[in-house]
Amino acid sequence: MLYSSASLHRHFYLMAPKPQLIRRLADSTMQGTTKKSRLIATASASPSSSMKDYFSKYAEYLNQFNDKRERVVKASRDITINSKKVIFQVHRISKNNKDEVLERAEKDLLAVRDQHIARLVNELQGTDFWKLRRAYSPGVQEYVEAATLCKFCTSGTLLNLEEINSMLLPLSDASLEPLQINILDYILGLADLTGELMRLAIGRISDGELEYAERICRFVREIYRELTLVAPKMDDTSDMKQKMDTMLQSVMKIENACYSVHVRGSEYIPLIGTDDTSYASLGMSSLD
Amino acid sequence: MMKSAFRTALVLTTTVCHRSLNPNPITLLSLRTATASPPPNSTTVTCRKIHCNSFSSSMAGGDSSPTVAAVEKQFDEFRNRLEESGSLRDRIRAVATEIESTTRMMYSSLLLVHQSRPIPEVLENAKTQIDVLKQLFSSLAEIVRERPGQYYRYHGDWRTETQQVVSLLAFMHWLETGSLLIHTEVEEKLGLNASEFGLDVEDYLIGICFMSNELPRYVVNQVTAGDYDCPRKVLKFLTDLHASFRLLNLRNDFLRKKFDGMKYDLRRVEEVYYDVKIRGLASNKGESKEDQTIEES
Repeated sequence: MLYSSASLHRHFYLMAPKPQLIRRLADSTMQGTTKKSRLIATASASPSSSMKDYFSKYAEYLNQFNDKRERVVKASRDITINSKKVIFQVHRISKNNKDEVLERAEKDLLAVRDQHIARLVNELQGTDFWKLRRAYSPGVQEYVEAATLCKFCTSGTLLNLEEINSMLLPLSDASLEPLQINILDYILGLADLTGELMRLAIGRISDGELEYAERICRFVREIYRELTLVAPKMDDTSDMKQKMDTMLQSVMKIENACYSVHVRGSEYIPLIGTDDTSYASLGMSSLD
Repeated sequence: MMKSAFRTALVLTTTVCHRSLNPNPITLLSLRTATASPPPNSTTVTCRKIHCNSFSSSMAGGDSSPTVAAVEKQFDEFRNRLEESGSLRDRIRAVATEIESTTRMMYSSLLLVHQSRPIPEVLENAKTQIDVLKQLFSSLAEIVRERPGQYYRYHGDWRTETQQVVSLLAFMHWLETGSLLIHTEVEEKLGLNASEFGLDVEDYLIGICFMSNELPRYVVNQVTAGDYDCPRKVLKFLTDLHASFRLLNLRNDFLRKKFDGMKYDLRRVEEVYYDVKIRGLASNKGESKEDQTIEES
């Protein structure tokens, strides 16, 4: 639980005294040569030195764990940055370039998986998977957001948790536990997806692709509806509550945009060939 | 092809055991076959191209019901799994609350040491609760055993209570022996099996910091009651403890904050020690080179 038996072995092996380190610390904590020599002697010499022996064990454990946490945080940051790039890539979609944009996005997504998510596989074995969750969760959520966005744009369906996890299986070899996204990070990532889909819908409307936007509208509505029952049961309810509020805002923005287009009917002239980012024509004051 | 399919199935079963909230693997497997999942290899890109065309053609029409049904099924599954983990968490919280009230009882007995009750008598009372604690932690372990690998998922639900337990047990141990109760000894006292449900190292260390907070008050009251030897003993112990803690590379977290507080405990005990020493109240019995070094620092 605390540490696997393998790492326990490592601890005791590494516990072989490091005289220099202990000597240096002895200088700083106590004066007098008597103390110095006592510390370097064996554990049975005095209670104070055995206390320090135990604590150097704890220090070892904490150092290793904190180093691991650092590595996981770095990997998570890289996953976040590169997943965001995938999302920006998808937003480049317009009437004529869907296939190339999505192909490129899929490729980039695979790269995120192979170059960055792969770094998590070794680190998150055993109990570290849950112990370090706060360190990698943001990255994983961003990845889920990117992957589900790509899937929606390509096929109009929701990439479900099993599918996304089956995509991660090639990362681990048989000797390791496969890295699998847990249900909470998947749902949190899904919540962020709706925000991106809102941006996409608004973009599609100004490009004249009304059906696309309506498709997005139905999709996002359904996700929101399903999540209302799931959100209160999550481990981190307060995070999710925030996201549900934001999600509803996104859903309403899309609904209002579709409504505006619907009501204006013939007044609405799709601006072909321009990137109209001022959405005043849709009756919306701002995007946020 | 065969090998990867087999491995996928094998891994899926393992996944179910390790990471899944659903102890019943059959449901997940049937869910898997129900949804059309793309093969995880290079043919994915070609498949996606075909999907792309069908997507644009189906855009004009309404929602395809198989898709909506699949989505609903997944979320139903999520709801069930989260309800299970939620009720597990409730059971854990119930045990943790009992742990908390037991430690509260122990603490109230232990507080009698500040009123100069003889230590053995005070400890006697508190010790009777240790068996209760053992039972409670064993219940915790049993609940968490239902979710192998998820100790740290629920760890926050017993973290504070555990730290308090460590603090009390360490204080009791110190009162009895004058020495520091170490991590593995705590696990033994509580009947914890380190490989299954162990004591988290940081919980142990924080618990020790809590214990150190008790010492200044104890020393002050002991001196008032006429025990002038106590400060010397406590000072030595706390000096060693503080020095040992300095071996740790702590980040800026809760443990670090608690450790920083220990320095004030040490300072207070030093003050009491000097108050007593200056006035010659402490006997010279038991003084050694150690004490001279304490004076030098």
